[in-house]
Amino acid sequence: MSLVQHLPASRLRPRRREVLPTAAVTAAAAGAATVLATVDPNQAGHYPGCPFLLVSGLYCPGCGSLRAVHDLMHADIADALARNPLAVVAVPFLLCALGAAWARALGRRPPSTTSVPAPVLWGVLVVVLAFGVLRNVPGWSWLSPA
Amino acid sequence: MSDQGSMPPPPPPPPPSGGGGGYGAPPPGGGYGPPPPGGGYGAPQGAPPPNHLVWAILTTLFCCLPFGIVSIVFAAQVNSKWAAGDVAGAHESSQKARRWAMVSAIVGIVVIGLYLVVVLIGGLASNSTA
Repeated sequence: MSLVQHLPASRLRPRRREVLPTAAVTAAAAGAATVLATVDPNQAGHYPGCPFLLVSGLYCPGCGSLRAVHDLMHADIADALARNPLAVVAVPFLLCALGAAWARALGRRPPSTTSVPAPVLWGVLVVVLAFGVLRNVPGWSWLSPA
Repeated sequence: MSDQGSMPPPPPPPPPSGGGGGYGAPPPGGGYGPPPPGGGYGAPQGAPPPNHLVWAILTTLFCCLPFGIVSIVFAAQVNSKWAAGDVAGAHESSQKARRWAMVSAIVGIVVIGLYLVVVLIGGLASNSTA
């Protein structure tokens, strides 16, 4: 595994081109989290329902992620896991990715997700697909967002 | 590791790849250039192309289902091809992962926008008839 690539000479030079997009993404994420924390997605009518759910009647792998984030913002991890466990698992990963983006923008060389062994990513794919199927199967209601 | 004049400082020794010891015997005249596609030299040195996994996860779990899954496939392809030494293929998959992440983000935004319009019009219509 090549987790440690050789470091270029310009290791600590900030990349100004990346600072603004990273700041924009950070602001957008903070804004979305704040809106989700204050405007409760458990109340009907606060947000439009999912078009995919409306058309197909099926729960996709993302179903329940708004409610899960709302619960997380209120430190209610059990309820968040009940809405969408995969989204709960994804949040720390996304926060790490945001940290890595800042590190990169400030000129450091954080480990890239391309350094992750490929079977792990294929595993992620399988987990997402299996999750999307199983949460619609009777008997697996602990995975369903309802 | 001797006379590569303008090359960057020698990389750390690669992991052993099979019995022969990986880079122990460089190809004649080849030195440390990019390995041939599919060559058995393990992960190439240098900066790997981004696999855009973060956007794939974001669009799959927080935005729009089908295209996000396509992005995950290409993200995994980047890692597979890079680990196999296929530099050109890894960059190609990286571009595709990026494209599909953007497609899913844009489609997600457009669908949500259209849906909001439909909901708003529906709400107005039901209000006026009620």
